[in-house]
Parts: sequence; structure tokens; C-alpha cells
Amino acid sequence: MSAEPRLLSRWLRANWQGVSRPVLALAAAFLAGGLLVWALGSNPFTTYAQLLRGGLDGWPNIAVTLQATTPLVFTGLAVAFAFRGGLWNIGVEGQMLFGALAAGIVGYAVHLPAPLHVIASLAAAAIAGSLWAAIPGLLRAYLNVNELVLSIMLNSIALYLTSFVASRLLKAPGPTNKLPDILPTAQLGQFTMYSQLNAGFFIAIALVIIVLAFNTLTRRGFEFKMLGLSPRFAHYGGLRVRSSMVQVMLISGAIAGLGGAEQTLGVYRAYFDGFSPGYGFDGIAVAMLSNNHPLGVLASAFLFGALNSGSSVLQMTTNVTKDLVKVLQAIVILMLAAQYFGLFRFRLGRPRSAAAAPELTQVSELSQVTPANEGS
Amino acid sequence: MTVVSSEVIALRGITKRFGSLTAVKSASLSVARGEVHALVGENGAGKSTLMNVLYGVHQPEEGVIEINGSAQKIPNPRRAIALGIGMVHQHFKLVPSFSVAQNIILGAEPGPGPRLRTEEANAQIGELSRRFDLELDPRVPVRDLPVGLQQRVEILKMLYRKAAILILDEPTAVLTPQETRELFATLRRLASAGTSIVFITHKLKEVIAVSDRISVMRHGEIVRTIENAGVSPADIATTMVGRSVILQVAKQTAKPGEAVLDVRDLDVYGDRGLKSVAGVSFQVRRGEIVGIAGVQGNGQDELVAAIVGARRATAGAVTINGVKLTHASPLEARKAGVAHVPSDRTRVGLSQQSNVWENLTLGRQHSPNLGSGPFLDAGKVLARAAELIAAFDIRGAGPATLVSSLSGGNQQKVILARELDSDAGLLVVDQPSQGVDIGAIEAIHRTIVKMRDAGRGVLLVSADLDEIFSLSDRILVMYRGQLVGDLQTSLTNIEEVGRLMGGVIPDAIIPPADPGTGALHVR
Repeated sequence: MSAEPRLLSRWLRANWQGVSRPVLALAAAFLAGGLLVWALGSNPFTTYAQLLRGGLDGWPNIAVTLQATTPLVFTGLAVAFAFRGGLWNIGVEGQMLFGALAAGIVGYAVHLPAPLHVIASLAAAAIAGSLWAAIPGLLRAYLNVNELVLSIMLNSIALYLTSFVASRLLKAPGPTNKLPDILPTAQLGQFTMYSQLNAGFFIAIALVIIVLAFNTLTRRGFEFKMLGLSPRFAHYGGLRVRSSMVQVMLISGAIAGLGGAEQTLGVYRAYFDGFSPGYGFDGIAVAMLSNNHPLGVLASAFLFGALNSGSSVLQMTTNVTKDLVKVLQAIVILMLAAQYFGLFRFRLGRPRSAAAAPELTQVSELSQVTPANEGS
Repeated sequence: MTVVSSEVIALRGITKRFGSLTAVKSASLSVARGEVHALVGENGAGKSTLMNVLYGVHQPEEGVIEINGSAQKIPNPRRAIALGIGMVHQHFKLVPSFSVAQNIILGAEPGPGPRLRTEEANAQIGELSRRFDLELDPRVPVRDLPVGLQQRVEILKMLYRKAAILILDEPTAVLTPQETRELFATLRRLASAGTSIVFITHKLKEVIAVSDRISVMRHGEIVRTIENAGVSPADIATTMVGRSVILQVAKQTAKPGEAVLDVRDLDVYGDRGLKSVAGVSFQVRRGEIVGIAGVQGNGQDELVAAIVGARRATAGAVTINGVKLTHASPLEARKAGVAHVPSDRTRVGLSQQSNVWENLTLGRQHSPNLGSGPFLDAGKVLARAAELIAAFDIRGAGPATLVSSLSGGNQQKVILARELDSDAGLLVVDQPSQGVDIGAIEAIHRTIVKMRDAGRGVLLVSADLDEIFSLSDRILVMYRGQLVGDLQTSLTNIEEVGRLMGGVIPDAIIPPADPGTGALHVR
């Protein structure tokens, strides 16, 4: 009788921050969003009800939600993997674009039998994403260049480079800036008439499981976590810190690249210039909300996916625009960032550690904040 | 150098705690008008904390602060400045792009009214620097000044605020010998003009050179206040590092085996680009504990870093179990058979945001006993963690406990447990009992002796001379980057080692002031 509540309370105590932070951030976002809707003269309750219905009511809506969820799982997982290893990979958007482009090129220009063609296109996407992520990774590891700034800037370069390829270099004939359609042998199968949901969704789920297993079961996964929490400790413990940092970036980039392939091979069946509305950036929000945990990524991506698909319905049925969802996302990020940098601390009980650390150590920690400092 | 009788500062029974750590323990200190008072002690002895109490940065739990004979509460530095107390921190607090005058008047601009009177300020600062004989152009941007002059700006900043009491926290740490001499001349001049100066340092020569009286701090207590006249550096050294409670560990005579560590003609450069270890050679054999004694900052840190692979040696060789280290990589050193208990427990030795099992596992994550292939077996890892927690008596911990919630002593036990649970032939232990309570120290010492008896070689570095004496079979003394003594513990005593630590070296030329220049004589 008494064992189970104790187990629950111990689990809550251990994971309190991981659970309370996203929940609080979401609650605050929906509260502020509700006030906004109310101030604009609509009923917040009916608005939220419409949003929920639009995202989840019936298979057609769920199919749209799952399609919107899929790219966010890839990008969220890519960001979360890098964050956990202590690297601010904000360049997932660019890595995804290159992955999508590589898949698009291999998809139309190479001739292979069906299963092989898909695999080759996916591999090309993963490699392309990795290579683009290697630039900030190598510069961070060996020259100590700030990978956050660098990877952000590389997004713009990736955007215009891929755009150049799609609008000039390999442009398909016709008015649209796109590559030629991929061959049927390279397509990821779609299985519903309601949306472009495709086999890429299952690749995303498989990746979540693989990353989860890697993080929790392997020696390397353990090392990457230690690297993220304390590079000095990891170095002392015998890790090759520089090459490990590069590996984290390569894997993160590969996941992002696969996300791009899902769009090209599964959704659009060709590389379209400007296909991404910013999945890579939304991935940052997904990762932050997930506390860098793969299952958290899945849940957060589904949440954002449902909000996005619900927002289209919202726009059609009420006079609130779909931008409400953008506002909600922005507030979530603000809240999480504020919690992250210690503006808010919600605690279950008083930890004994607070008194043990003199103030000087806290000041010095600030200068070397890494994304994995918090959560697991 | 006569001490004028009027007492400007009187600290009585000051106690300051941080959580479970008592940083300052009923410390009393008195400084007279026009006195230069040196406050010496090892890192972590509580010098800076005590001065931060005086400057209003920290609030003491107990004790009284009297300034000019009346008891004062000093809730913040602003109040301290109003009372005429000025502090120059080790790291300057200056705006690089501002001129000297702008830096000095910042926060105390000449009034009245909101207008910034730059010319008036320049004139005031010029006059001030002439009055105290501290030559400085008030118009020059601070970033263009050498470090010694930047410090002068800091001092003028305090004098501008009419400080009659100056606290200087390790002022010579960043100065060249020439700048140091100029600073000392300045301090003497200020003192003869009536300013009282408290001067924090752990460099013994400086203490003797400039101060009227010396207070020695150890483990948060002021253990001794002495007149400078007739004191030797060796005296102060032994007072700094000695421990009143002598912990004697019961141990058999050592039965040394073959050499597990061989250091040959090692040169290592420190962070500031100076040669910190110069031509050091020695061996550690299996079954013996070799202690390295020395006042902090004499090259011990750099020597240890080279042995454990954290810092590259520029010349010479480190050989462990017959394997010569070629890269500066902890991985290589670990593979050769080094276990390392680092002095920076909180940031190097542990990941504070990880739990106990994670901290016990890093460094052993590739052990075949903890998994198979690329996989780590959570069951085995947790079982091992639980075993180690029991074996090393890590109190208040389970495998999932956050390391930062443990006391210093128990954190140290986590490191020891991890490092000793291996077959490494060489154990490098750096400051094993710093910030650790007495009970835990005893357990840690017993463990180290047990490792020796199990046939491992132990290299012990400690700022605590009593610890060195109670554990070591052999004692090496470092002074200015060199080994100046290699002594059998049974054939020496604290006084002899203290003399060597203070640079009193029989039959040898005392090395010149800068270990980076000039030929050095060993032994």
C-alpha cells in the first residue's frame, strides 16, 4: 500500500524540474494567450476548444497533426541531442535544408531499385546534414569559436545556397523554383488521403527509440551526457573532448538532414525552394520543452504539431488568426528561457545544496553555461 | 616601522559560515593607524572572506567590527566606503575604455548638479596623484596602462573616496618584480601618511619586506599575530601549514617495490608563461607514499598536471609503469595506470549537476565489468555504485543522489571511491583533505595507507605539512619550481622541511627571483 505513493513521490522529486518547467511554461502561455484572445474580443474558451478540435477531432485532423508533427520530431531530436552533449546547435534549419536538397538530388538523378533508392537518398541527406553541422562542430572543438553564433549564421548561408541550387543550378523546367521530381523508387509511401503523412513518420519514431536507447543504454551516450554537464570533468575522466564534441554535432546534423529527407521524399516528392516554414527553429522550442529527452521531444513535437494543424481550422471557424499559435509558442520559449537562466526557480522542498555553494562559484558558472547544464 | 598605538580596525570574534562550511572561525584582528598589516595563509584559509566581512560583502554570523573605536554594522560596501574603508580586489574593477579620471570618479562624481565636470575631475585627480606621489595622467584610457598602473588607479580610486583603511587582496599576484617594488614603496609612503593597510598574500618574502605586523590564518582561524622584526620565512611557513590537531595514521614501515612513476628532468610552464617546474626528477615506487611539500604556487600544481596528462611538459619525460607519456591527455595517463584525485574537487573531480552513480562511473565507463560491447549495464553500474557507497562510507548518498547535495568530505569520498576502484598502479592525490571535516580526513588517510600496503605507489601533494608528515614515507620539498629536498620522513622534522619550503637551502645557491630566467641550481 505505502510503497507506491513513495515511489511516485521519489520519482517526482527526482524529475520535478523536468516535469514542472514545461508544464508551467505551457500553463503560462495558454493563460497569456487566453487573455490576448479575450482582449481582442473573442471567447478564449471557445477559441481553445476550436483549436483542440481542429488538431485532434477525428482521423482527418489527426492525420494532418501527425504530418505537422513529423518534421518537428526530427528537428527537435537534432537540437535536443546537441543540447544534451553541451553544444548549442541552432543551425538545425540549415542542416535540414541541405539534407532535403541532397535527398532531392539523389532522388531524381540516381537510378536504383526501390528500397535501395530510398536508403541511398536518406543516407545522402544524413551525410549532407552532418557535413553542414561539422563546420560549427570543428570550429568549436578545435578553435573554440562560439558554435551558437556560427550555426545561426550558417542557416542563412544554407538557405541561399540551397535556393541557388533549386532556382538556377539544377532547376526543373517550369515556373516553380524546384528540383525535378524524385523518381517513384525514392518515394516514402503515403498512406492516407487526408494529409501527406508518410513512412517518414515511422522513421522519426524509430529515431526517437534509437536515440533513447543510445542515451540511456550505451557507454557513448553516457559520455556525451557527462560532456554536456561538465566538459572539464569529462576531460579529466579520460574523454577525448574535442572529437566527442564534433561527433555530437555530426549526429545532430545527421538527424536534421533526415528530417529534410522526410519532407523531400515523403511530403513534396521534390526539393522545393523555401519549403520549410522554419522547422529547424521550431525544433529549438521543441527541444527546450522536452528537457532534451527523446520522449519529451515526441510529446512536444506532437503538441506543437496539433497546435499548428488546429490553428488552420481555427482561422476558418473563428475570427482569431492562426498567428495565435505563434504567440503561444513564443511565450513558451520565453518562459523556458527565463526558467533556464534562473529567473524563476520552482522547487519541491528545499535542496540542501543551496547553502553549500558560496556565491563565487555561482558567478563563475554563469560564464560557461552550456545547454545541457539543466535537465537530462 | 613603529606601530602607533591608536587602533583603527578591531575585528573581534568574527565567524562566517557558508552552509556547513565555516570559512572564518572567531577571528580577531587589530590594525593601528599607519600600520601595514599582512594577512597570510594558504588558499582557502579564510583571508579573503574575513576581509570581505570587513568590506561589507559578507555578513558575519558572530563577532563585532569596530572602526575607530566604535562598533559598526557594515551591511554593504557602500557603508564600508563611507566609513573610510577601501578595497582593491585581485581582479581590477575598472572600465577599460574610460580614462583614469573617469574611472576614479565613477559613482562619486564631483558635484553639485547632474553635469559631469570632466576638467574639474582631471584637475582633482592630478592633484591627488601628486599629493600621494602616485604619478598618473588622468586623461589616459585605462586600457592603455600596464597592470601596475591600473592597480595604481584602483588605489587612487580608494584615496579619492577618502579611504583611511586600504585592503589589498593579493596585490602582487599580477605584478612584475619591478612593479611589486614600486607598490611596496607606495604602501610604505601611504602608511607613513597615516593610512592603515591590510595586505593579503601567501608570498612570504613580501610579507617580510613590507609589513609591520603579520597575522597568520589557518582553517579560518587567526592562529598567530607577530611583529615583523626578527621573523623568518620558515617560521611563517610552518605556522601557515601546520595543524594544531595532529592526525597520526597508524602504518607499517614501507616496503617499496619497483618504480611506478619516473619523472626525468621535467620542465613545465605555468599559465602565465613562466617556467613553473624546472628540471625536476624523482621516482615513486610501488608500496610507498611520496609527499610533496611546499608553499602553494611553487610548481606543485603544474607538476601534478604534467603527470596526470592535463598539461604538456616542455622538456623531460614522465614514465608510468614503463609507459612514457607523449601527449598531454588524461586518457593516455589513465590508460598507463594513473588514478587522480584532483585538488579542484568541485569543477574537475566531479560533475555537480550529476548524481552519485554518474560521478562514480565516469572514467570507468569502458570497463568490461560494467557492460558488454557498446552497452553500459545499468544494473551493474548501480550495483557497483551502491557497493562503493557502502565501502567508502559515503554518508547521505544513494546512487541517484545529486552530488552537489553532499558535504565536502563525502564529495571527496566519491572521488576516492571512483579513483581507487581500479587497478591503477599510481595514485596521485592532490590536497585530499582541503575543506574536509576531521572525521572524513581520518577515513581518507586510512584509505590512502591501505592503497600503499596493497602495492600501489602514491604521490601526495598537500599544503598541510602535518598531513604530509603523517602519511608520507618520503618527502620531496618544492621551492620555486625545483626539488630542494628529498628526505626520509623518519629522519627529518617539520622544522627542517619548513626551512626548505621557505627557501633556506643548505649548501645551495638560492635561486633568483624569477624562476623563468637564469640558470637554477638543484640540490
